[in-house]
Amino acid sequence: MAGGVSGYAAISTKVRAMYSNLLSPQEITRLSDSPDFPSLISSLKNTQYGPHLSALKDNELTPRRAIQQLKQRLADSYTSVVQMSPEQTRPLIKQLYRYFELGNLKAVLRSILTVTSWNPDVAPWDRVREVLFPFGSFATIPAQAMVESGNVPAAVELLKGSPYESAMSFAMRRYSAEQNLFPLEVALDLDYWRRLWAEAKKLSGLDREQGTKIIGSLLDMNNLMWAIRYKVYYKLSEEELINYTLPFGFRVRDEDIRAIAAGGDIAAIVTRIFPSIQDVSALLENPQAGLPKLEVLLKRQLMKQCTAAFIGNPFHIGLPLAYLILSDLEIQDLIVLIEAKSSEISDEDLRSVLLKTSLQN
Amino acid sequence: MFFPREMTEVELIIPSKDLVPVTRVLSGRGVFHQVDSTYLGLESLGPSTWQEKAANYSTLERRIQTIMQTLILEEEPRDSSDFDTIVELDAVRPAVDRIEAEVKGTNDQLSSERKRLEILESQLRQLEPISHVNFEVGSLRNSSYLHSILGVMPAAQVTRLESSLSRVPHVFFTLKEDTQKPVVWLLGPRSNSDILDRAAKSAYLNPLTLPEEFSGTPERISAMTRKAIDESRQKIFELESGLKKLAGTHKKELQKLWWDVHVSRLMADAIVRFGQLRHTYVVVGWVPTSDLQLLTERLKQASKEILIETIPTDRSGHHSHVPVALTKNKWLRPIQDLVTTYGRPSYGELDPTILIAFTFPFLYGAMFGDLGQGLVLMLVGFLAHNRIFMKGLQSLGLLLVYCGFSATVFGFLYGSIFGFEGHLIEEYLHFHFEPTWLSPIEGENILTVLRVAIDAGIIILLFGYLLGLFNNIRSRDWAHFWFGHTGVVALIFYVSFLALLGGFLADTAIAPKVAVAISNLPLPFTTIALVFGAGIMFSGFFRNLVEGHRPLIEGKGLGGILMFGVQSFMDIFETVISMLSNTLSFVRVGAFAVAHGGLSLAIFSLAGEEPDLGFWITILIGNIFIIGFEGLIVYIQTMRLHYYEILGKFFHGGGMRFEPLRLNPSQEEA
Repeated sequence: MAGGVSGYAAISTKVRAMYSNLLSPQEITRLSDSPDFPSLISSLKNTQYGPHLSALKDNELTPRRAIQQLKQRLADSYTSVVQMSPEQTRPLIKQLYRYFELGNLKAVLRSILTVTSWNPDVAPWDRVREVLFPFGSFATIPAQAMVESGNVPAAVELLKGSPYESAMSFAMRRYSAEQNLFPLEVALDLDYWRRLWAEAKKLSGLDREQGTKIIGSLLDMNNLMWAIRYKVYYKLSEEELINYTLPFGFRVRDEDIRAIAAGGDIAAIVTRIFPSIQDVSALLENPQAGLPKLEVLLKRQLMKQCTAAFIGNPFHIGLPLAYLILSDLEIQDLIVLIEAKSSEISDEDLRSVLLKTSLQN
Repeated sequence: MFFPREMTEVELIIPSKDLVPVTRVLSGRGVFHQVDSTYLGLESLGPSTWQEKAANYSTLERRIQTIMQTLILEEEPRDSSDFDTIVELDAVRPAVDRIEAEVKGTNDQLSSERKRLEILESQLRQLEPISHVNFEVGSLRNSSYLHSILGVMPAAQVTRLESSLSRVPHVFFTLKEDTQKPVVWLLGPRSNSDILDRAAKSAYLNPLTLPEEFSGTPERISAMTRKAIDESRQKIFELESGLKKLAGTHKKELQKLWWDVHVSRLMADAIVRFGQLRHTYVVVGWVPTSDLQLLTERLKQASKEILIETIPTDRSGHHSHVPVALTKNKWLRPIQDLVTTYGRPSYGELDPTILIAFTFPFLYGAMFGDLGQGLVLMLVGFLAHNRIFMKGLQSLGLLLVYCGFSATVFGFLYGSIFGFEGHLIEEYLHFHFEPTWLSPIEGENILTVLRVAIDAGIIILLFGYLLGLFNNIRSRDWAHFWFGHTGVVALIFYVSFLALLGGFLADTAIAPKVAVAISNLPLPFTTIALVFGAGIMFSGFFRNLVEGHRPLIEGKGLGGILMFGVQSFMDIFETVISMLSNTLSFVRVGAFAVAHGGLSLAIFSLAGEEPDLGFWITILIGNIFIIGFEGLIVYIQTMRLHYYEILGKFFHGGGMRFEPLRLNPSQEEA
């Protein structure tokens, strides 16, 4: 009863309205022309982010606080979409939203390991909270108690009853042996994406088709970048690389991941999957600089895929999902702009990493 | 009523000695929305001692909560008047330390015993799949040619592990299927032990830790483990009983401690956001103007030397920093929910709740006009509102009452009662009931109903345009007042568009009378439409001009001008299409009124002509179906009309929620 036209009447209206408020590529370009951080913020105040940025007084508007306000805007979008979406699709949207909690969890764990090198005058939690995503009432991790616990095993113990408990229960033995967060983070990532994919697969009809398309595209980007990084940076063995990646997605197939694991030609594989991405070999020659560029190109593909969801029948879950992803990517662009303007990075360097400006072409 | 509650900005200067009583008044009334004013303080004073206090209260509160969770005690918030002042940490800490020490000893024993039990149970589960195998467990570790890994791993990772070893000789068994933690056995040549270990490790295969203290066959080890499990359970039972006794002894003390520390923590959190000067504190916030006098009196009672400056806030202009408190009215609550789902009004903006309170039931009733079904909706709504039925949908219940009432009124107008209309009422219900206005499904009435629906839509849309202009004037947004998508230029173009439409359809039965009446005015509508159409085409250019944005046209050179031309053409094209679709969208109101009658007729044709038991059962089921199914669809259509066609014309939203300081979480928003 709640699916199809009836279930999506309100949400598709709302999402379309919110979509129309996203910044156009021209607006991003105009923002990137701002000479410095204050003028960037002043321009941003005339956009949909105005109400969030205006909540801060001028002397409080540091780059970090501004970024936090932008993230708050994204959190508000998620809350609003979750509340309005049909009942059967909420678990998927909530799981997608959990990505930011996953980021918070990783940040908390990393902070526990690095806290000893920090200024002892500032309480660790005060430092950490500034970089956490404002997850609000959806939060399932006791972040403050974890930071204050002071060690990783005690912090992980506090995750009992949370969605991360089972993934952590397997990975903790490796952490104890290796004293390295890598196995914990990989286990969390794999568990997160498996759950997300499972939620998308639980849907039926058009929701399932569109949901797996959007989530699959998002997963493609991550899975492919994992495989390439593990191969190029970490030089992992074939069996490790396969175990640390996932066998599903929208365009990227298990065969592609296995081919990369077996030492296949990465550039040829990427270009076959995404014909519009050329010159991958050149990017891989200098992985340090090339891989971030490749990631930007993949994100642009994702952006196009999400934009395409707004064409045609709007009564399915693809629309809210695409909006939320586009909103996240837009905020990533704005964070790049804020950090660039506050650290005086040249416009040329900046433009190459902006995602949205590519849609102008 | 027509706007969010009027707010006043309040700035307080509090002598340090009165800090706590004043904070208590600010926090306890639930009317003060605090703004971070630390920036007004003196930086030279260094970090406030209150920051440390707030952190200490927070830590102490968490400790008390942990004790209460351990003893399975609920936190019980009290009335905000039920506390005197911020408690001194040193005064409460010893009591917390004492109870914690008592509880901790037992609880630590309980935790370690539970952990031991968990390990024993896990070991027993691990042994089960191999319990029938008659071999010494130790021999697995000492094989010369085989490398063997027996362990548990995430179920989701099993197939991945197998595929990662597709090119390596190996044997893989799932000894025990489990949705979470299957027990698996991986075997391969000892020469490949490195690869096997790497694969197992990266798949999070955790080798079994069989109890070293037990030796022998799996069967013998299982028996010994079961005995240890029974002993462990008995010990856990005894420890839990000990905790229950402690809970009984300390319940009242812990609840009081928690309340005192909780309230102190909330107040310390508030003080941290005050600006600290040498001998005073500066506090900034917002208060609904109607609550200001009472708050001021209380503040003056709390501190004789307090300085209070109030700055009334004009509603005109932009006020994105002013929190928005909506008028509190329980009868309008469901309508407010509908509006806030779309957006929270900003401070200077018209709150559309009152308007929607009329249009929503009106449009709903027009589409679902039936005296009997309307009364049933009212009854269901009444029961839901009073939590007798559909508990948890209290707010929706009230909306159902309004919609049901409107449907009842339209039922009189349409002459419909539980789907019976005209001669059917006399034939089956044996009384006379004529439509006060018309029956939507009779002959030419269909076209009349559709036409009237469009007329009503035109009036609502024109009203929406006017409200949009009103909002623009209030916010002094002149660019949008003149050239916005609901600005003066767009309104005049819409009126001339209606005139042309009215002239074109004048001789037809569905010609909207409002449009025909406009077309009869002695004005050159074609010329007006062309002039103001051009205004809409170049509205972006004009808006940039009025707002002082440069460049006036995006892009440079001939390409930029061409792109601007194409974009302008698309603007006018889109405007005409949307005006037409917005207007015709209201035809659904008439169409649903007709469909309602049609659906009732379909049920009568299923029921037959003889008024026997089968007939009445069919009518009953049919009515339940209509109320449930059509009622829901009409609700969605009404919502759609409001979100797409009406609110979009004048309502922007984006207001900041009013979140006053409050001590008790259940304290209602002012």
